[in-house]
Amino acid sequence: MTTALLRFEDLSVGLDVPPLAKVVTREDIRAYAEASGDDNPLHQDDQAAIAAGFPGIIAHGMFTMAHLASCLVGWVGDPSALKRLRAAFRAPVYMGETIIAGGRVKSLDPSTRTVLLDVWVTVERAGTTEWPIKRSEAEIRLA
Amino acid sequence: MGYERDGVIALVMNAALEGKVYEPVTLEIDAGFVARFASAVGDDGSFVPPTIVTAPEIVSGLDHVVADQELGLDFSRVVHSDQEYEWIRPVQLGDVLVARSTIESIRFRGGHEFLTLRTEMRDAAGEMVVVARTGLIVRGES
Repeated sequence: MTTALLRFEDLSVGLDVPPLAKVVTREDIRAYAEASGDDNPLHQDDQAAIAAGFPGIIAHGMFTMAHLASCLVGWVGDPSALKRLRAAFRAPVYMGETIIAGGRVKSLDPSTRTVLLDVWVTVERAGTTEWPIKRSEAEIRLA
Repeated sequence: MGYERDGVIALVMNAALEGKVYEPVTLEIDAGFVARFASAVGDDGSFVPPTIVTAPEIVSGLDHVVADQELGLDFSRVVHSDQEYEWIRPVQLGDVLVARSTIESIRFRGGHEFLTLRTEMRDAAGEMVVVARTGLIVRGES
């Protein structure tokens, strides 16, 4: 990582985390299925996904959550600062779509140097913003 | 799907299994695994991705509940609705994690079934490293 370490003193409530975008490809999802061990056919077999009511395979919720974690770690500059991450999966992600992770500082506790964030992942689909991860939360503790 | 009791096939999960603890699973966070996982999630491999713990969590939790004949989970109708990780300390290269999953709750609401799994991961010294919680919904037949 090349990002400079985030400083607690530079944060304020309402501050935005710089969004991180990523195009989701079949290769990504195949690699994630192998690395994570999640071999649910919804993520590998178009016919299984279509039978479940989707237009084709969908990304793992955990793949999208991992991207959210990458966004936060890249912002903070220190993977060990991430103490808690909660994700509510509320929309599927299809192949070729661009997922955008983001967040906003919700509260700051100077005594523990803990930052609570509202976090999310969005996708623009047919002129509408969908929320693969919606109303979720992260806790970061800075040195 | 469902489970069989007294010769009858139930069409929903067996709520009596709340509190069931599955056999622990051990997984080493070695360099090859870190490289594969980091590459798969788009990280540069210079650190252990925090969500690498999804892999031991799947083996100890999801794989067990899917295979559990007593539970009767219909995996073809499962949607992953919620996920939470609490890192008590950062996961480090070389950690040997022992993951143990518990069925925290089974609920029925609005024609759907809700399953919550809690997975605790400890290091070789027995110290807690990560607590994970997974929420699954089994969608009702429509």
